[in-house]
Amino acid sequence: MTASPANIVEIAGVTKRFPGVLALDRISVGFRAGEVHAVIGENGAGKSTLMNILAGDLRPDGGRLLVDGKEVKLASPLDSRAQGITVVYQELALCPTMSVADNIMMSDMAARSVVSLLPRDMMRREARAALTRLGMGGLDPDTKVGRLSVAEMQLVEIAGAVRQNARVLVLDEPNSALSKRESERLFEVVKQLRAEGVTIIYVSHHLREVLDIADRVTVMRDGRTIVTMDNEGLSEDQLIRAMVGRDLGAALQWSLQVEPRPEGEDSVLTVENLEAAGLEDVSFSVRAGEILGIGGLPDSGKDGLGDALFGLSARRGKVTIDGKELRGADPLAAIRLGMSFVPADRRGAGGLLRMSVADNVVSASLPRFSLAGFVRRGAVRREARAQVARLDARISHLGQKLGTLSGGNQQKIILGRSLVTNPRVLVLHEPTRGIDVGAKAEIYSILRGIAGEGMAIVMISSEIPELIMNAERVLVLRDGRLSGELTGQSINETAILARAMTS
Amino acid sequence: MADTVRSGARAAAAGRFELSRLLRVREAGVFIALVVICLFLTFATDAFLTSVNLLNIGRQVSLLGIMAVGMTFVLISGEVDLSVGSTYAFSGLATGMLIIAGWGLLPALGVGLFAGVVIGVVNGILSTYGRLPSLIATLGMLSIVRGAALILTNGQPVTVNLRNGAQPSVLDTFNFMGQGYLFGIIPMQLVFFAVIAVLAWLVLSYSNFGFRVYAVGGSAKAARVSGISVNTVKIWAFVLMGLLAAFAGILSLAFLPSGQAGRTGLGLELDVIAATIVGGASLSGGEGTILGTILGVLIIGVMRNGLVLMGVSPFVQELMIGLVIIIAVGIDKWTTRRTA
Repeated sequence: MTASPANIVEIAGVTKRFPGVLALDRISVGFRAGEVHAVIGENGAGKSTLMNILAGDLRPDGGRLLVDGKEVKLASPLDSRAQGITVVYQELALCPTMSVADNIMMSDMAARSVVSLLPRDMMRREARAALTRLGMGGLDPDTKVGRLSVAEMQLVEIAGAVRQNARVLVLDEPNSALSKRESERLFEVVKQLRAEGVTIIYVSHHLREVLDIADRVTVMRDGRTIVTMDNEGLSEDQLIRAMVGRDLGAALQWSLQVEPRPEGEDSVLTVENLEAAGLEDVSFSVRAGEILGIGGLPDSGKDGLGDALFGLSARRGKVTIDGKELRGADPLAAIRLGMSFVPADRRGAGGLLRMSVADNVVSASLPRFSLAGFVRRGAVRREARAQVARLDARISHLGQKLGTLSGGNQQKIILGRSLVTNPRVLVLHEPTRGIDVGAKAEIYSILRGIAGEGMAIVMISSEIPELIMNAERVLVLRDGRLSGELTGQSINETAILARAMTS
Repeated sequence: MADTVRSGARAAAAGRFELSRLLRVREAGVFIALVVICLFLTFATDAFLTSVNLLNIGRQVSLLGIMAVGMTFVLISGEVDLSVGSTYAFSGLATGMLIIAGWGLLPALGVGLFAGVVIGVVNGILSTYGRLPSLIATLGMLSIVRGAALILTNGQPVTVNLRNGAQPSVLDTFNFMGQGYLFGIIPMQLVFFAVIAVLAWLVLSYSNFGFRVYAVGGSAKAARVSGISVNTVKIWAFVLMGLLAAFAGILSLAFLPSGQAGRTGLGLELDVIAATIVGGASLSGGEGTILGTILGVLIIGVMRNGLVLMGVSPFVQELMIGLVIIIAVGIDKWTTRRTA
């Protein structure tokens, strides 16, 4: 590597604020022409925000962005593409109803006169040339993109970007949906583009792959760029150490004092050989009064675990509550046997945003609050008032619409809805996502309280500190399988990351 | 050398592949359904397979077809237009009133068509820059334009004839547009439909504009990052729709030759959308072809005609048309669900 090759894109002291969060805190990093530059960091480190700024989807609140040494403003994805920067997101910007050639050539067609004829032959030829350049010559340009695999779609999008003379290609978690073979093909493409002088910014959780393919690695943490290292003699351990190092001291002071439980105490929830979308052969059990944490990367399968346990998605294997087996794909049976689920998607699947606080609280246990098909309003209000008081939710009145509450209070109400069903097992997925620190602490103490009453809690979370603070035991998933179990003192950030990331 | 041999083999394989692909195309299903219905009617009735009856069907479906062509653009672009029945009434009646008032044909036609364009522009702007769902924007326009037609005509019927003051030469040409026959045999309405359909097919399949219509409906995001102005394309689709609805309304008045703002084209928007959707256009955008739309229009026309020939009551006819819509779209959804 030469002494200091010119930076094609330079990020100088860029800051981005969201309400209540400093997502990027004066970060600086330079991307050189023709390098593969990996950006790694934990969930919430600011990688996505940085990519969105490069894509022109977000505008920084401070700092400068330089392309070829000149300051630029990227006000839209179009601006960004005009500078030769293309971001390939996990949700691809492709038109599934049109052909491969149509998609690859879309920018070309947009640049032509709207009253011209469509040069179909030329489009097909050029598209095939662009695909061949990426070693994808076998893909029929006439195929509808909607029929392709995710991997092929990615390559079609990359082919389109390369055709537009993209000089900087940002790949955001490109292989999270790819098989091993597809990933290898993607790496071939990445290497070839690098050889052609294209800069690849590679955002990934997979440290092994990062070490295999990157020339340099930038580590982000808590909205800052911690370090940029040449990938020479780097190890996974070194990367993890750079990613960790958050000061957990203050948070840990009120951490749970784990009392060792008597061995052999009966498990409330047992899961044996669970197989579901993204999960293979997962077995574990949770005892009454225990908070079991489940961690892992976004593609580890942990995000499908809640749905699979609760019966929202198909599964195989045995799930029992108090010895009684749960039928698969039947959420009603899960509720009847005493399971309650708080999904991650609070605004979508979780809460009835347009209905009142009171209605939300009882919505999972309506039969109990109905008489001859009519809702017993008085009983609903009494129960809602009791839950609001117990959870210390701040609302103006019980008729207030859920959607008008803050995230923390919404989550408390949704938690209340679960508690009204008197569950034996409470499954929480990202219980405090997007909630401010104060409300987080309150929710944690509520969860400990209800665990103390004998409920078994499964907490699936991407936030490692959350697992450390609350769980007595943490299971780590990787590639759909359990990759480690940590208990008591051995639960720490490095241990969790090591089991989640290294292969 | 080896390369040419291989590409030759590939071309041959591709040829065989094309045939099986042709059968998988959406239009194939609609086409087969149409053939089955036609075969059935040929054997079930004496009158169906006669040139007079077939041309009659052609005439009957023409106005629906002209509007369905416009609707194809709107649906592919990912929007919908409910105001077309009202536009049809307003433009027809306005042109009729001007002809009665002694205007020449071209100015009267021009005003009627221009009204359709204006309605299209308003629909388009409300649905894009106005950020209203087109379902709502055009539902509002459905009432507004219908109300405007009632105000314009004071609710009275408009009949275009000499007694009411039309110039004889203008009336002759106007009537010919709606009632005449090309070469004494092909209904003029069918000629207009055919010409419009062919032009629309060329635009949609072979022009840059057609490409953009598919792109904005298939993925507005992909279109936007490629540099296509999504709003502009959608507005033009609405304008085309307004223009064609206006033209169909004018032809209708030329055919009948009278209309009334309270009745003309009432509920027509639903027939138009139904025909387009039977032809394979998707309400979620990005999909549809002119060929499919023509087949969809023909299925509905042939069904109506055949049921009349078989002496089925009009009440049952309505019911049957409804079944066709559900079955046609259902077959598509149920079969694609399995492959997806």
